[in-house]
Amino acid sequence: MTKYLIGRILRALLSVVLVVAVIMIMVYSFLDKQSIFATDPNYTKTKLNGRETYKMQKWEEYGYLDYIPFSDWLKAELKAGSITQEEYDSAAKLGKNYDTDSAETAHFVQLFKEKYESEGYEVVRLPGQTKPNSKKYKEGGNPQLYAYKDIPILKRLLTYFTGLFKVDNIHNAESVEGERGLTFTLYDPVYGGNKFSPAIMGNGTNHKYLLYFDEKFPFVHQNLLKIQLGKSYSVNEGVDVFDTMTQTQGALEYSTITYPSGVVEQTADDLHTATYIAGSREKGALNQRYYVDDYTGVVTAKDGMSKMGYSFLIGIISVVIAYLLAVPLGVLMALKKDKLVDKLGTFYIIFIMAVPSLGYIFIFRAVGNAIGLPTTFNMNEPTWLMYVLPIISLSLPSIANLMKWLRRYMIDQMNSDYVKFARSGGLSEGEIFSKHILKNAIIPVVHGIPGSILLSLTGAIITERVYVVPGVGNVLTTAINQYDNGVIVGVALFYAVLSVTSVIVGDILMSVMDPRISFTSKAR
Amino acid sequence: MADNLYNLDEFNMSEEELFSPVDRDSLESERITAPRYSYWKSVFRVFFRKKINIIVLSLLAVLIIFSYVYPAVISYNAEVDPYVNLMDGSAKHLTPSQALAKFGGGIKWILGSGASGESTFDAIWYGSSISISLALICAAINMLVGVVIGAVWGFSRKFDVFMTEVYNVVANVPYILLISVIVLIMSASFWSMVFALTVTGWIGIAYFIRTQVIIIRDREYNLASRCLGTPITRIATKNILPFLTSVIVTLVATEIPSYISYEVFLSYIGMGLKDMSLGKLIEASQNAMLVPGWEIEFWSPVAVASIIAVVLYVVGQNLGDASDPRTHM
Repeated sequence: MTKYLIGRILRALLSVVLVVAVIMIMVYSFLDKQSIFATDPNYTKTKLNGRETYKMQKWEEYGYLDYIPFSDWLKAELKAGSITQEEYDSAAKLGKNYDTDSAETAHFVQLFKEKYESEGYEVVRLPGQTKPNSKKYKEGGNPQLYAYKDIPILKRLLTYFTGLFKVDNIHNAESVEGERGLTFTLYDPVYGGNKFSPAIMGNGTNHKYLLYFDEKFPFVHQNLLKIQLGKSYSVNEGVDVFDTMTQTQGALEYSTITYPSGVVEQTADDLHTATYIAGSREKGALNQRYYVDDYTGVVTAKDGMSKMGYSFLIGIISVVIAYLLAVPLGVLMALKKDKLVDKLGTFYIIFIMAVPSLGYIFIFRAVGNAIGLPTTFNMNEPTWLMYVLPIISLSLPSIANLMKWLRRYMIDQMNSDYVKFARSGGLSEGEIFSKHILKNAIIPVVHGIPGSILLSLTGAIITERVYVVPGVGNVLTTAINQYDNGVIVGVALFYAVLSVTSVIVGDILMSVMDPRISFTSKAR
Repeated sequence: MADNLYNLDEFNMSEEELFSPVDRDSLESERITAPRYSYWKSVFRVFFRKKINIIVLSLLAVLIIFSYVYPAVISYNAEVDPYVNLMDGSAKHLTPSQALAKFGGGIKWILGSGASGESTFDAIWYGSSISISLALICAAINMLVGVVIGAVWGFSRKFDVFMTEVYNVVANVPYILLISVIVLIMSASFWSMVFALTVTGWIGIAYFIRTQVIIIRDREYNLASRCLGTPITRIATKNILPFLTSVIVTLVATEIPSYISYEVFLSYIGMGLKDMSLGKLIEASQNAMLVPGWEIEFWSPVAVASIIAVVLYVVGQNLGDASDPRTHM
């Protein structure tokens, strides 16, 4: 069994990698790169050569290609010490075209060209465009020199998967005051230093707090291992998809905390999220008031749940309700086959299957509205009633689906020989149904349980839109509409991992429930 | 009685020619004199035995007439007709009674008017024709490809290993992503939507058929058939296909409404067709839900989409029941 499971998991991982590869090819190669500018107001403001370089910058930010302007290369060389300040100053100014470059510039332009062309880059020189009868350049007409290269799919995959998990270590921050290392404290300074609350803090790490306790579920938190599914560009700028889905939302939540400098204040800053930002303390007056080092990047605490939190809460409750109601109803339908109950149930199943999902969700909403339930989700004034309609809208269709299959499986089992045997042996109908038929019929239904639990993490698109739930369901559609490639790939990986896992867990659960099912024997 | 009597002399035949002894024919004696069984005739006999099917079928006929014949009869032009009353502020968002009072009687205004003063009734039927066509074409392509590949998939063990991996990958690519990428590449026209819905849509059906084929493939009667040397194509067409007919018809019954539902869903999230299909109509009129008195603009396309889906589903489901030879007794 273990050997089989390892094989299954490896194959599942392979297919996840393939899914990501397919999606990367789809979004990076098939989509027209130009389309990201369709709604970009800055794009229309740029002109001539300026527009070309703007496009290059954006494409690099969206992850399409690797773009290196001449000036950036010069700066890097200067920083590395291979050219002097004077050389830099004289080389930085480009001529109108190759012929008008100064000797210094031409030398470095030649070096730049040779270096990047040998690495397979495309080097582009855009000649300057001057105003008529003038030596001045038009707006955006400055000469430009840059190199760019499309990122090959294999390299893209490799960098993506190697950067998926990131472990924080004490050599991450560029330059820190004091000694690099980890400290362990029993009294977290955030709470004033008197309350017992163990924490591991780092100096030189990216996050100041690597492990800490607080009053929020699940009470122990860590910043040591980060999952990076992909950086967002337009949906939630600069933030990783995984953080977008797990960060709390809503109104600011104030609490009294002690800043590192000793200032005690009522604030929403969550000091436990502090990250290292080089040189930030010196730049800001507020930072100097509050902090003693460069760990100033804090996230504010919000009183709502995260996107995933809302989706999962609604999803899990509706899954539980669905199974609790669908199993007895499905059994009842099979028990009273062709009677009134069965006919009513069938009508309900047909209704859910045939009516477009948008249609019945609006019907549920209209009915809910008529009896006075809140139809929109309001994070600022949370009440338990606002969860009712989304949960009903999610659970009613899955009840129909479960009922349909359970009834089918039960009726198929009812004609089996073992049932006839049990009946001839004198067992009562109730006994036959509960102890024999249900046990056999429920197995395929059990297979779906892990799937429905895990996939409730991904949210529901229509339900969340109709009731304005701030959940994960719409992250993918928003990302697609805004061409946020990092988010698309990240969310797709998240979905793929969940669905692959749920199939494997479902199989295991099924073989636990029914010892006859074995995945290891070769005979089929 | 007298009419049936003949004068044997009239035939001009000899005695031997008129009367000859008949041998006992062993082949003839084996003949069964039961009425000839024709599969499809029996399917329709069983189908029409249920009264409800006649009602649903005539409802389907009405729907098809309204969606395909009605727009042709009034020569509906999707480019012009919805915008005829665009400049007339008093023609917009009318309830049925207001519209009937304003434009006079006639079937055209019995559902009121929409956001640009167009007749909701006309728009719905034009939209239905697009949605039904989309659903039928997608279902036809997916079923054809899915059933053929699923049958091969179920028969060949080597192909099974390969296809299972393909299925794992394809089934995990988010459907919305695939469709939106295709729509973005090829523009949101009718045929690119067909392509988007069918490019991977067949694989689910093929997987379903594969499972069914595997269940039936190893039954004893097929084993016996194979031992007797029946070629594999004959086993597929004569031994397995009859078992699958009802499954396939049931699958069609669930597939067609699902495409209508899917089209509505895609339009709702902004990735649907450019044409004013039913889904697009529902999406365009959902803002009317916020204004009291305008709700009918939203509910009427939803109701028509639901009725079409339910009718197609019921017809398909009952046809599926009737196509199961075990019900032909």
